[in-house]
Amino acid sequence: MAVIDIHDVEKTYKGKIHALRGVSLEVHDGEIFGLLGPNGAGKSTLVKILMTVIHASKASGTFLGQPIGHRPTLRQVGYLPEHHRFPQYLTAIQVLQYYGALSKVPKAIRTKRAYELLERLGLTGWEKKRVSTFSKGMLQRLGIAIALINDPTIVVLDEPTDGVDPVGRREIRDLLAELKSEGKAVFLNSHLLSELEMVCDRVAIMVKGQMTMQGTIDELTRDSTRFEVHIVGQPPEWANEAFDDVRDSMLIKHGDNTEELQSLIDKLRRDNISIGAIEPKRESLEDLFMRAVDHIDNPGSVR
Amino acid sequence: MTFKALLIDAYRQLSAAKLFWLTLGLSILVVVTFGSMSFNEEGMTIFYGLGTIESDMIYEGSPWARGLYIGIFSNFLVTIWLSWIATVLALISTCTIFPEFVKSGAIELTLSKPISRVKLFLMKYAVSLLFVLLQVLVFCIGIFICVGLRIGEWNWAIFGAVPVVTVFYSYLFAVCVLVGMITRSGIASLLITGVFWMLLWTAQTAELALNRFSVDERVTIESFETSVLEQEAELETLRAKSPDDFRIEKRQERIDDMKEDIASAKDTFDKLMVWHEPVQIALIYLPKTGQTIGLLDRWLKDDSGFDIQAMMRGDMRSVEELEEFDNTTRFAREREASKRIHDDYSSRSLWYVVGTSLLFEGVILGLGAWFFCRRDF
Ligand SMILES: Nc1ncnc2c1ncn2[C@@H]1O[C@H](COP(=O)(O)OP(=O)(O)OP(=O)(O)O)[C@@H](O)[C@H]1O
Ligand SMILES: [Mg+2]
Repeated sequence: MAVIDIHDVEKTYKGKIHALRGVSLEVHDGEIFGLLGPNGAGKSTLVKILMTVIHASKASGTFLGQPIGHRPTLRQVGYLPEHHRFPQYLTAIQVLQYYGALSKVPKAIRTKRAYELLERLGLTGWEKKRVSTFSKGMLQRLGIAIALINDPTIVVLDEPTDGVDPVGRREIRDLLAELKSEGKAVFLNSHLLSELEMVCDRVAIMVKGQMTMQGTIDELTRDSTRFEVHIVGQPPEWANEAFDDVRDSMLIKHGDNTEELQSLIDKLRRDNISIGAIEPKRESLEDLFMRAVDHIDNPGSVR
Repeated sequence: MTFKALLIDAYRQLSAAKLFWLTLGLSILVVVTFGSMSFNEEGMTIFYGLGTIESDMIYEGSPWARGLYIGIFSNFLVTIWLSWIATVLALISTCTIFPEFVKSGAIELTLSKPISRVKLFLMKYAVSLLFVLLQVLVFCIGIFICVGLRIGEWNWAIFGAVPVVTVFYSYLFAVCVLVGMITRSGIASLLITGVFWMLLWTAQTAELALNRFSVDERVTIESFETSVLEQEAELETLRAKSPDDFRIEKRQERIDDMKEDIASAKDTFDKLMVWHEPVQIALIYLPKTGQTIGLLDRWLKDDSGFDIQAMMRGDMRSVEELEEFDNTTRFAREREASKRIHDDYSSRSLWYVVGTSLLFEGVILGLGAWFFCRRDF
């Protein structure tokens, strides 16, 4: 079942900024989904539409089986906004209690869960401290705790690792994996590609308000799977035909068919050509991302 | 649950603000000063009995003592302290509540909760009135105790100040919220609310003055017209008796003078009406701040007229002692005009005063809620 299944979402801000131009997206039950895109692509806009913070110009599809904008569903959703500011006069535990109450979590459960979450996010000892004394990374952790206070079915995180140190990032990644094992779906926005690569089951790349690719990392990079054979000396004549690409002493064969590769190696050896190295290669998420950004190359802004 | 959470949050926000405690401290100071007055057999004592002001009207148990003590509360403490100084302090401390509430970064999380925006807006508005509610409540408890101890009257009507002042404050706060919603700036909302309040005050004061003048003129016209009729009748009898009476000419002159006065009064009255009517009509649709606060005085006043306003007019006799012979004297006319104005104001029902004001507040809040619901944050 899809927890998020939306089509043709459009958003034009006042002032004619066309931030989303027909975005469609599907997030499945219990998976970690990463939404990638350069700055200003419209990632936060999409998330805010899901969270009813802004109104879409046009939207169809469902969010947890209900149309977008259906308020009661939001009880089952956790949200970490992009540039959050929690009430400065509250302590960590009070903030959690407050947002928990707004999410209609019963009082008894709320308090217990608040302490558990603070511990889980490494904020033990800070429960009774005012939010105004927190560092950026600590606020981020607190924000994630808030997103989990209502024990949501899906957690929507807008750049969760923003401002968090490497150890913290690792912890957050582990936490995401734990959430997944608890059966929760996670939807996250980020431009930290290597991080997404490590945790996401599926990713989508969004550029200038449009979705360019969507799928598992494996699916998206399959086309770019290849073997690179490095030889010593000049390549033989026949190599131009047998390989897909020849660059000086590097011969490239696309696909992941090892049988075919073996016969080519045999052929090279028969011609007494020394092989320095054979490398299986696959595009990284970064390459994919760059390709996607280049792909939509109408210069300037999203306007 | 949501309302309770918002209420607790509002309380925490207040108690984190220095101005809240400052205002509360000042309130208590005012109460302590009020309580320093007392009455004994000889007169009134001040500074907790340090000095005595002797008087044969104001002494322990006299109706004038009650009129004075209660009157100081309902006329000065309420109108000057509560509905003026404390209100300014309250506006300063609460004008940032809504701009902070909708600040980017803070509002997203709140909006993503399963509460409708209209509800959220109205609830937040209601809990924001907590500042004033708490302040006035503490103040009234203090006053209640003072009045009880000093004049032996445990008057629960004093707590009427809690709703009265809160409602009065809410008229202004609604404007503050609407402006805060549109501009997202606390300073802007404070300034515009201040200007609105001043305009309202000016209009109400102008109306009071215009009303006073036009009632004066009307009383003059009426009393002179009756007098003219009487005198003309007398003149007729005089003429019938002895047509050559030397008084006839004098009388005729006086009648003509009065007719002239009536004509000029009518003229003035018409001119006044040109201004009075539009101001009056405009005020029907605006919140009645002065009259709302005035409700308290109505509730607390001694019906037999022993009140501080009479004292201030230098009129320390009871009302029945005054009998008039000639209704056309200046003094008689002024008294008649005052009485009419007073009767007019006290005849306006609670419904009219508070109802029309709340209607205004409702429209302003509706606009605010509409903005809040439509806006992309
Ligand atoms: N409230 C707003 N009013 C007008 N335009 C806006 C508003 N918020 C965002 N935009 C515009 O919409 C476009 C998409 O913005 P958005 O914040 O969704 O991007 P993003 O993908 O989240 O970027 P980043 O990676 O920097 O967070 C941008 O061009 C931005 O200028
Ligand atoms: Mg963003």
